[in-house]
Amino acid sequence: MINLFASAPGLLLWQEAATSRSEVVWQGITNPDLSKFLVIGALLFIIGVAGVLTRRNIIVIFMSIELILNAANLNFIAFSRYLQDTGNANAVAGQVFTVFIIVVAAAEAAIGLGIVIALYRNKETIFVDKIDLLKW
Amino acid sequence: MKDKRLFIHHSAFIIHHFFMVLSGWEAVFFWVFALAAVVAGLLTIMARNAVHAALFLISTLVSVAALFILAGAEFIAGVQILVYVGGVMVLFLFVIMLVNVGAEERGGEELFNRPKQVAAAMVFSLLLVVGLIFAINQGWAGLRERDREEAGERLARRADAERRLRSSATGTMKISEDTQRVGSSLYRYGALPFEIASVLLLVAIVGSVLLARTTKQELAADDLPPEVLKEVARDEPEILTETGSS
Repeated sequence: MINLFASAPGLLLWQEAATSRSEVVWQGITNPDLSKFLVIGALLFIIGVAGVLTRRNIIVIFMSIELILNAANLNFIAFSRYLQDTGNANAVAGQVFTVFIIVVAAAEAAIGLGIVIALYRNKETIFVDKIDLLKW
Repeated sequence: MKDKRLFIHHSAFIIHHFFMVLSGWEAVFFWVFALAAVVAGLLTIMARNAVHAALFLISTLVSVAALFILAGAEFIAGVQILVYVGGVMVLFLFVIMLVNVGAEERGGEELFNRPKQVAAAMVFSLLLVVGLIFAINQGWAGLRERDREEAGERLARRADAERRLRSSATGTMKISEDTQRVGSSLYRYGALPFEIASVLLLVAIVGSVLLARTTKQELAADDLPPEVLKEVARDEPEILTETGSS
């Protein structure tokens, strides 16, 4: 009966539960793996989202968007590294995609800051809640 | 029974150990730079002075570049520092100094949106943190489970790839082939997006130059609509005489 349970899909988790819990956590800290990269990427993404949602200064909102794009880059790089051991011919596709994201981020920053300058010339403010011409 | 338990523990350790895992000093640097990236990111969105925010964002970007190096993407790390820190962030600093952020710096202006909006955003962010971390752990466990049989194969491939790398001049290190592989992949699989990206950059240059022109520059290029021209002639006629058009 126990053997039957042991061959269930959750085998790996069951085995890790057999070793001590703190040992597994410690191993995760001393040997950070793909999931730790993903967690850092997720945290950066959320910080960026919080910045976009809470700040009034449009330039800081742009910086938060750059933070979000960088979090995506971190995920792409981590998965690309994970794929590189599979023998896939195009395993660095994640890195190539990251190059394109950086290009798009640069273009976005140039256009966005151009808009900010034009806006400042017309409205004399960079606070997003003062720019409400389209609000009815 | 004890034997079996030991064996299981050992094999689980090996499997855990070879799915893209950093160890030793790499792990130390990973945590240092990860912590630096997150803390500097938080300070970016909390800084009162926009210039300070830009400097904190630069620290975040450099820390993320270090994480790229730890993940074996040296070329992207270099691009990140050259393009982001050397290009985009300098642009940000220029624009911050062009527009007036004095009121915010002196503390006379509210930094964040209304408190209720901020509270809602915080609740949303916390939910996102919990959800994403839960999802990542679940997904990672599933991925490891799926690739379990491959672990040995992956290990062999990694060792083989490491062995085939050329040694550096001192012989103590290996020369990474990352840049070479990114280059060939970029031009082999990503040639069309590459060309499109160059057109995008051209459009961005032209667009930002057009957007940031002053009225005087628009007038000099004879690019003002008639009704705006009339307004200018009424409100600030000195511009018309300065640019020599009447």
